[in-house]
Amino acid sequence: MDSSRGWRRCGWIAVMVLFGSALPAFGIPAFARKYNLRCSDCHEAWPKLNNFGQTFKDNGYQLMTGRDTPIFQQGAYFPVAFRTFASWHREYNSLVAVDTIPGNPAAGQMESPVSKSGFNISGLTIWAAGTVAKNISFGFQTEIDNSGTATLATYFARFDNLLGSPWLNVKVGKFELDTLISEERELVYSNTGGFYRNYHFVPAGDSTNFGLGDNQLGAELMGHSRNDYTRYSIAVLNSTNGVADTPTNTYDLYADFTQGFEIPKLGLQRVGVYGYFGERPTFSQTSNGAPIPGTGLGNRSFSRTGIYGLWYLGKFDFSTFYLHGQDNVFLGNSVAANQPGDLPPGAVGPTWNGGFFEAHYTYNPQLIVIGKYETVQMSRQANPATPNDFGDMKVWTVGYRWYPIMNNRAGLAWHQEYAIAHTTGTAPLSGKNETNSSYLMGFDLEF
Amino acid sequence: MMKGSSLTLAFLVTCSVLASAQDSKIGELRGNANSGKALYRRYCIGCHGAHGDGAGESAPHLDPKPRDFTKAAFKCRSTPSGNLPTDTDLYDTISRGIYNTGMPSWRPLTRQQRADLVAYIKTFSSRFQEEPPVASVTIPAEQPTSAESVKRGAGLFQSMNCWSCHGKEGRGNGPSAQTLTDSKGYPIRPFDFTDGSHFKCGETGRDLFRDLTTGLDGTPMPSFADSMKPDQIWDLVHYIQTLNEDTGGFFHRAKHKVQ
Amino acid sequence: MNKHSYYLAIFCLIFVCGMTLLDADRIGATPAPGGSSVTGVVKFKGTAEKPTRIDMSADPFCAKAHPNGATTEDVVTDASGGLENVVVYVSDGLGAATFPVPDQPAVMEQKGCQYKPHVLAMRAGQKLSVVNSDATTHNIHPTPNNNREWNVSQPQGAPLEQVFAREEVAISVKCNIHPWMKSYIAVVKNPYFAVTEKGGTFELKDLPPGNYTLQAWHEKLGTKTKMITVAAGASPTVEFDFQ
Repeated sequence: MDSSRGWRRCGWIAVMVLFGSALPAFGIPAFARKYNLRCSDCHEAWPKLNNFGQTFKDNGYQLMTGRDTPIFQQGAYFPVAFRTFASWHREYNSLVAVDTIPGNPAAGQMESPVSKSGFNISGLTIWAAGTVAKNISFGFQTEIDNSGTATLATYFARFDNLLGSPWLNVKVGKFELDTLISEERELVYSNTGGFYRNYHFVPAGDSTNFGLGDNQLGAELMGHSRNDYTRYSIAVLNSTNGVADTPTNTYDLYADFTQGFEIPKLGLQRVGVYGYFGERPTFSQTSNGAPIPGTGLGNRSFSRTGIYGLWYLGKFDFSTFYLHGQDNVFLGNSVAANQPGDLPPGAVGPTWNGGFFEAHYTYNPQLIVIGKYETVQMSRQANPATPNDFGDMKVWTVGYRWYPIMNNRAGLAWHQEYAIAHTTGTAPLSGKNETNSSYLMGFDLEF
Repeated sequence: MMKGSSLTLAFLVTCSVLASAQDSKIGELRGNANSGKALYRRYCIGCHGAHGDGAGESAPHLDPKPRDFTKAAFKCRSTPSGNLPTDTDLYDTISRGIYNTGMPSWRPLTRQQRADLVAYIKTFSSRFQEEPPVASVTIPAEQPTSAESVKRGAGLFQSMNCWSCHGKEGRGNGPSAQTLTDSKGYPIRPFDFTDGSHFKCGETGRDLFRDLTTGLDGTPMPSFADSMKPDQIWDLVHYIQTLNEDTGGFFHRAKHKVQ
Repeated sequence: MNKHSYYLAIFCLIFVCGMTLLDADRIGATPAPGGSSVTGVVKFKGTAEKPTRIDMSADPFCAKAHPNGATTEDVVTDASGGLENVVVYVSDGLGAATFPVPDQPAVMEQKGCQYKPHVLAMRAGQKLSVVNSDATTHNIHPTPNNNREWNVSQPQGAPLEQVFAREEVAISVKCNIHPWMKSYIAVVKNPYFAVTEKGGTFELKDLPPGNYTLQAWHEKLGTKTKMITVAAGASPTVEFDFQ
């Protein structure tokens, strides 16, 4: 069995486990408490930000009314918020490799649908963010998954409004790449539909360790106009996909630019363009055969580029996103750059195109309906022997959130969601098309 | 009898007044109160309350208290004391926010959204339908500041008794400062000109001129329109502009106009 | 004209005339000369607190105007218990009658850094003239609940006129520059009111016959109500007692 099949089997399970158990960042009741503003002031429907909330975030979590610094808070105020999600869910995979006779591997394997359901909790996310002084902000996010393992997801210090200008802000630490369609503020959470595939997709057999939606480690220069209609960011990141303590001597570059404009009667529209240009090692120094972390060699490059838009039409809003992904041939085939002979005949760098269209209907600040369609389509496989549409996927997600309380102290949402994904050729044994689906309902609680 | 036809006339006039009172007009923008109502429910209701009376859930925790729209007395206006603000006055306040209070700048809302909010806010007080619109005060051209102008302004600061609230150096610590209450009876502090803060109703010289002419309704700050001539008000503005001791140093504050 | 139209016209004439007559002494009536006077006294039963001293040192002009100091005026009584500064007025019983507003203004004066009078009663729609007789700038700031609020600075001699459109008993008035300055303006929509002076006596002149509700308002002690009947030719007396 060649290595690509192993990727097929393990890759998607790993991805689903990672995103099934931890929750992304969220609406911050601590900010609501600090400023006596309701969740609906900053959030279309938390955690999705509206323009007022996006501006607050871009100002370094400051309202710029002269009362942002901690000295104006009650001494007992603490800028910490908590989130957990208690749910019942059902997961379905259409083709899973199982032993023909359970418990008897010698009897051989077959593909069989597997369906699991039950109650679940998402673990606990703890977020602290705010200001330490005027124009100096911070953010910490820790996620504790349901087995009790804590991950430091986000930690940064940001120096805001340098030289008195909103065009100069510097953030250092580990943070989400600056984008207006933030995966951390998505409104869907199921294993199948609760993340942006385009923010993580890497073709099967590709060794590039990168996700646009993964928090990266580095430094960012960001700026915006006073009403936040024009925004830019440029970031220099470690080439480790956010993993700390493993310096690699190489850096990735990310840049993003958006422009907003008003259409009378309809609302604010935005278009943006982004690009991530990075490199990854294909082999490293070893000691007694074991790779020495951080000593990557044979770096080869990859990129993720595209455009996106946020469209507001009265109570409807749409997010549109396009991505073009391109990895080097050595990365695409998981071959060390000093072993070119290991490349399969006709090997090329894989490229793919993907995108999503997400629609929301905000009936009022306490009820929002979500629908999303996402697709990834390989344009060129790394190994020409692979079928051209192998790994292609289409995902449909629908859901709604109802917020029975809306105040400036805490938040509660009732959440229901269904997502179904078709992937081409990824069944572990037969190479048939797979279908996965999730049904999720539960309470999303924040304090 | 005359009553019938005058009744009909009154009815028609009221209808047309009511219809236009549902809208707001800011430059070429037209706001609609029905659209503003949904926006108010999202953005404003937590402080200003469902009835626009400033008794939202957050009000007990705020100082100063949120504006009571039912009284229609507003701080930042271009109209003489005791009068309603113009639609543009309300729009500017929403856009600029009010520094050093819980009222943020709502500039991130689109211009249309802010115009719609103005139209809805006007529905909280019948004064907007009953009282005829009043013209904004005229602000004459400013003569350039000079040492003499500042000196005259200092003299006016003394003779107009500004110091009794704002203090001899403008620190907001005058002899009557601690006794001041706003029109709802809550304690209120006079502005400290020296600490680099931002004026609540705009920062330019013209804004200060206007504030001195209109007074800030609902607060102890009166109108000086009948007390000083325009040249004198400019002198006082020039003097006030010299009081700020906080130049911002390396991090200067950018001045900006309301969009 | 046929018989039916004739009778209809007569009926309309009588009907219209009758309606007009019924309202005759209501619409556009002035205090009818020959109406009755209601006289009375407002008394304070009990011991009034001693007035507190006012410290005017914050403004040198004011301090000079009162070399022996000044005292608060919130409860002013004399030896016989007569209560000053009480507004007595007809709050009900005149129906929908309107009365012409006098042309001459009511006057509130700022003298010696105090308001004179301490309680002023005037008509809704009547001009209020505010006079500053002091060589210091005052700030006149009424804080009404049922009228427009305005707030104006006034140097010595500067003229100032305003109008209160609606009845309100009473509007409190302050000067933000001199915090001890306080007065009240009672705005009444009919001409039957008076403010008690020394001795606590009052007289409401030329009241037409009818049943009326009288109210007596005091800034600290509250409001008392009495119902009276004015018969033609009679001049009732009323006593209000405050504790």
